[in-house]
This record gives sequence, C-alpha cells and structure tokens, in this order.
Amino acid sequence: MIDVKDLVVSYGTATALDHVTLTVARGEMVALLGPNGAGKSTLAGTLAGLLKPASGTVSIGGRLALIPEGRQLFPDLSVADNLALGGWRSGERDPAFVFDLLPRLAELAGRRAGVLSGGEQQMVAFGRAMMSRPDALVVDELSLGLAPNVTADLAGHLAELNRERGLTVLLIEQNARLAFDLCRRAYVLESGRLVTEGESAELADDPRVASAYLGGAIT
Amino acid sequence: MIKLVAGLLVAAVTLALPAVLDDSALAVYILLGLAAMVTVGVSLLMGYAGQVSLGQGAFYAIGAYTAALLSLNGVPPLAGLVAAPVVAALFALVVGTPLLRLRGHHLAFATLAMQLILLSLAGQLEFTGGDIGLQAIPQFAVGSFEVGSAAAYAYLTWAGVALVMLVTRNVIASRPGRALRALATSETAAASSGIPVGRYKLVVFALSAAFAGLAGGIYCFYAGYVAPGSFPVLISIQYIVMAVVGGLGTTWGALVGATAITLLVQGLNSLGALPGMPTYAPGVLSYAVYALVLIVVVLFLPNGLLPAIAGRLSRGRDDPPVETR
Amino acid sequence: MSAFLTYLLNGLAVGCAIALIAGGLVVIHRVTGVVNFAQGTFAVIAGLCTSSLLGLGLPHGLSEIAAVLAAALAGLLTGLAAIGKRDTTPLSSLIVTLGVGVLAYAVEIVLWGDQPRSAPGLAGSVTIAGARIQTQHLLVISVTAAAFVLLALFFGRTYLGKALTACASNPYAARVVGIDTRLMGLLAFALGGLLGGIAGVLVTPLRPISFDTDVTLIVNGFAAAVFGALTRPVVTLVGALLLGVAETMAAGYGYGSHQLEVALGLMIIVMIVQASRRSAISQEST
Repeated sequence: MIDVKDLVVSYGTATALDHVTLTVARGEMVALLGPNGAGKSTLAGTLAGLLKPASGTVSIGGRLALIPEGRQLFPDLSVADNLALGGWRSGERDPAFVFDLLPRLAELAGRRAGVLSGGEQQMVAFGRAMMSRPDALVVDELSLGLAPNVTADLAGHLAELNRERGLTVLLIEQNARLAFDLCRRAYVLESGRLVTEGESAELADDPRVASAYLGGAIT
Repeated sequence: MIKLVAGLLVAAVTLALPAVLDDSALAVYILLGLAAMVTVGVSLLMGYAGQVSLGQGAFYAIGAYTAALLSLNGVPPLAGLVAAPVVAALFALVVGTPLLRLRGHHLAFATLAMQLILLSLAGQLEFTGGDIGLQAIPQFAVGSFEVGSAAAYAYLTWAGVALVMLVTRNVIASRPGRALRALATSETAAASSGIPVGRYKLVVFALSAAFAGLAGGIYCFYAGYVAPGSFPVLISIQYIVMAVVGGLGTTWGALVGATAITLLVQGLNSLGALPGMPTYAPGVLSYAVYALVLIVVVLFLPNGLLPAIAGRLSRGRDDPPVETR
Repeated sequence: MSAFLTYLLNGLAVGCAIALIAGGLVVIHRVTGVVNFAQGTFAVIAGLCTSSLLGLGLPHGLSEIAAVLAAALAGLLTGLAAIGKRDTTPLSSLIVTLGVGVLAYAVEIVLWGDQPRSAPGLAGSVTIAGARIQTQHLLVISVTAAAFVLLALFFGRTYLGKALTACASNPYAARVVGIDTRLMGLLAFALGGLLGGIAGVLVTPLRPISFDTDVTLIVNGFAAAVFGALTRPVVTLVGALLLGVAETMAAGYGYGSHQLEVALGLMIIVMIVQASRRSAISQEST
C-alpha cells in the first residue's frame, strides 16, 4: 500500500531523509518511532505529496490522507466546514458518515475549530482526514500534548477502523508504548536514517530501543 | 588585489569623465551620481534593515528644499549643503521613531504616504513657493570659489558619491554593521542575541535619509530651482529598481544598479525621441523598462545583477529548496 | 442641514469606491499574504475601458461588465507575476505588484494617452429630505452594498469561498487537504481585480480617471484596509466609509486642499497604534 524506496529528501543542503526504505502492506498498521528532528514529519509530508523527493520513489496504492503534527485545523472555520474541506479531493461533502464514526463531532459541528480543546481538535483532524475516504492514513503524533484517556479514545477509534474497515495506517509516534500496543510492526528513524525495524514485541525487548524510547517515555 | 585594481580603474574613469563629456552628457553623469547616492542608502536600508521605503524621494526633496531655502536667505551655500543631509536625517529620526515600528508593506505604504503628504504640503505652503517652487537658487560656492560649470558639479556630485560609499563601507565593516547583517536575516534572532534592533534600524533609516538629503542638496544648486514636480512618487520607485538591480546591501551594487538603469533609460529616451516616434514614447519606454527590469530581477535574480554575475563566475548555483504543492 | 446630507451621501459614495478597492486588497492579502500595490490600477483599467467601449457605441451595462471583466483579467495576470513563481516572499511579491503598476502606466498611455478620461453615468438627481443627490451616487452606494453582500455570501456560504478562507486561515493545512493554494491565490487576485474594476466603473462618471490616478486610489484603499488590519472586510468597509465621508466633509466645508494629508495621516496613526498594540501583545506572551 505504502512503498518507499531509497527515499532522499533535503532542504537546501541539509538532508532530512537519507535513503529510507519502508513498506506498509494493505490493511496493516505500522509504527514509525524516532526522536524530535529525526525526519518523521518530513516523511509524513513526502507521503502526502507536500514535499518533493530529491531521489528515490514513493508509491501509494490508493488515496492517502494525513493527520498532520499539531492538528493543523482551520481555526476560523466551524468544525462542519473543517470536515467539509477534508473532502476537497474525494468530492465528499456530507460528514454524516464521519459523525457515525466519531459521534462527538456531531455535537461540535457548529463550533469554531480554534476554540476547541486539544483532544477535540485531534478528533476533528481525524474526521477531516476520513472525509477524503482514504485507503491509507498517516498519523503524525497522535498523542502529542493529549491526556492519556483522550489518546486512548482516539487510538481505539483508529484500531477499530484498521480492524473493521481494513484501513492501512502508518502511525508516527514518540510514545513508543502506545505505538507498540497498537501496531504489530515498527520502524525506528534517527537523524534521517532507519536504524532498526521489526516486530513490536522484539523491539520492545531490544535494550537500545527500550532505553531510548521506553525508559523515559511517559504512558 | 583584483578588487583594488578594479576600484582604482573605476575611480580613474570617474575622475576623467567630466573632462571629456559635453554638457548634455554631463547632465546625465550628474543625475546618475545623485541617483547612486540615494540608491546606496536604499540598498543599505533594504539589504541590512530589511525595510522597503517607497518614500526615499521625500528625503531627496527635503535636502533640496533645505539647501535652497537656506541659500536663498543668504546662508552660504556650503552651510546649506551641509544642512541638507542633517535636516533630512533629523526628519528621518523623528518620523522613523514611530514608523519603524511598522514592518514590511506597512512601512512601504507609510513612507509613500509621507512623501505624498510632504509633496502636497510643499505645493500649498507659501514659504516653499507652492507648485511653482523655489527659483533662482544661487550657484554653489565655497568662499569665493564658485562652482559654475557642469564639469565642476560633476566633480562635486561624485565627491559626494565617494563620501557616501566610504561611510557605508565603514558602517558595514563596523561591529554594529555585522550585527545589522544578522538583522536582515532574522529580526527575532538578532533581537534575542541582544542586538538593539530598533535603534540600529533607526540609524540606518536616518543614514539613508542623509544620503538622499545630500543628493537633494547638490541637485538644487545644479538645477537652480526646486518644485514639487521634481520629486514624483516614481522617483522613489526608481531608487528601489536601481537598488534591487544592483543587489541589496552591496555598496558597489548600488552604483552598478544606478549606472545600468540610468544608461538604459537614457538610451531608450533617445530612441523614443527619434523622429517618427509618438510623443509619448520616451515616457512609455521608461515606465516599461523600470517595470520589466524590476519584475524580472526580483523574480529571477533576487540577489541582484552584481552578485549574480560574481556568483556565476566563482561557483555553481545553490540548489533551490525542494517543496511542491 | 440639507448641505450636510448632500455631503454625507457624496461622502458615502466616495467611501464605497474606496471600500471596493480596499475589499480587493483584503481578499488578496487574506489568501496570499501579499499587499497588492496594483489594486488601484485595476480601477483605472476598468474606468478607461468603459470610457472607450461607451465611446465605441456599446450600450451601458455591456460596456461596464466588459470593463470589469478586463480588470479581473488584469488581476489574474498580476497574480501570475506576483505569486506564480514558487517561493516568492510576500515582500518580493509587493515589489512585483509595484512593477506591474508601473508597467500598466506604459500600456495605459499607449492605449488611452495621458489625459484624464471620463464616462457618462446615470444622469440627473433626486431630492431626499431637501438634499439633492446625484443618481450616480445612489448607484455607487447600491452597487457597492450588493457587491459586499455577495462577497459575504461567497465566503460564508459557498464551498469555494470556504476553501479560500481556509487558505487564509492555515495555508499548510489547506495543502494537507489537497487545496492548491497557488491556484486559490490566483483566484483571489482575479477577485481583487473584479472588485477594483467595479470601483473604477462606478467612479469614472464622477471624477475623470487617468493612468496615474491609481496612486490616490491605492493609498486611500490601503488606508481603509489598514483599519481592518488587512484581514477584516467589515471593519474595512466601515473604515472606507468613514474615510470617504471625512474627506468629502473636509472638502465641503472648505478644507478641501488638505483631504489627502488628513487621510494619509490617519492611516499612519492607525498603523502605528496597531503595531504598538501587536508588539505589546507579543511581549506579554513571551
């Protein structure tokens, strides 16, 4: 579904991604871990077509939607309008099916997106991405700045979509515990390079990964 | 070494030209020097303080009116000429204190507004001579030595250019000058590293006004009259074109830009004045040239002509940042 | 009293024309972040076009519409120059629009000469509460009102309008959902041209227009737009009407020669107050 081969992305002379290769199969849910500045968001932007690769290939077998880091809503517009604009590519204008998925959004529909709480905003960003009727979803920092129970709620919705509708998910996270709980497989990105990959269970036991991502991680 | 030789060569040619040019060519030569003086200031302001002034013509006008009024009231011309940049700089300090709180397009419009207000006032007030302006300004003189010929004005003008460039060089090389370079890149970064951003910007603004004022002072003695019509809004735009073409924040660039644009417009004016051309041709051609040169340089040679040529000679082009829709 | 009412309505008409120019500035600035110096040029182009088309014998209505469309096209072309190239900073774009404005001088002088031109508008006048009002003034006021209502509906109710607002609200997010922000920017420029064109068509019968009228128009329009911090259309409209009324009153009661200074001085004061308030806010937040 998501196939990245030998991807190099640079900003001017600085290389943000250095020969990154990764795949996410259809219906799979995979995590991408890494510290700040590792190039995670650059990868997300490249997958979403916002950044152009310097070399290498990115192929997406369907429609891909991005939940960007920091939600990136339209703060001046209502939740309903935010959702409607999510359907810019798909032509979907009616958010009813998103309301079925995330009932809380129906209650928020008339509110201005800028005044919502962080968790509510993340839910709007989630719903807005679903409006494009994606085959694959890239979630950049789902848990950042959110209370654990809010994160758990959103993670539950994500897992449900993956399980029941076969939505392909690439979960970009700093919270390794959350990522290992949700995904069977994970990649670790550091300074623009993939340093390791494997089954979540094995990675969790890897002393390097454990000390870097689980030791200090707050869950 | 090459720079020194080139500099000496330019200086030699500059000094030799007044002796060989006829009066009409000398007029162009003098106006070129005056424009270069103002442009050095504009280039400094845009390149180092990151500010666009659409009202630099106002300081030119202030310098001209100051020198004219003083010398018409019996003050020695030399004192009038010294007062021209001083008054322009003081005016810049006074208006700059509030105006420089503004950034980018706000400052651009505020300075444009300033010029329009000044022109309108000059056209209405009695002591500035209204729309007719001030006539019969005495020749420039130092003591009993009178500057009468066009060649003498050319030397005076280019001495002014040399002075302005020297001052600018020293400012750029000084410690505050290096701090200013940081200012142009990132005002926030400069402020957080303890540079008094506001005061430096104000000083550069006043300095650029002083340069324009000096040019204006020389202009009034050379022309013999000043009127609001001598300082249209377009003159301020012309300085921006020259600064942008030469490359912002470079002393020599301003000179190159002023020379290139003056010669180009002059050439087109003679072309437009050929028999058979419509009467509006010279005006239309110069408008079109200002506009096209400005657009093309801003979009395709953002560093200006001089750095672009120098860069092409010394190294390859930097990769542009990769970003797509 | 009736003189006052006459001045008031004249002033509102002048303010409406300013409001249309300023509205175009705001639309373009919101979507692209660029202040369009060529905004006054659109009005000049439309005004000159109307006078020519009417002179060629085209009927009223058709001439005006064609002129407004020409201005919209000019807006689109300005947009192509200003934001068509990737990575153009807003300040570079401002300088480019400045260049476009000067380029327009050359084109306008070739096509129409350098003398002011006028165009016939609605003749006659009506008497309201003892005040004689030119019919053209009423036309200006009603067309402007209609234009602003349509603009509000377009931005508030239509999907395309919301997409434009989205670009203004968060350009990165707009790109994330797949909106082509550059295309939207061009659309905003065309819309700005349209609004400037309407202003030009309405104003030409009242005061003749020449190629360099654009400076007065853009400066007044910018002054009004500054009231609304270049982003708020309603405040901009109010600012423009106040400016128009103040200028007309000043002229009517004998201070006519200073109306430009008053307007420009006000603009500078408003900008400085806004700037100091902004820096106070940013100091509090850090």
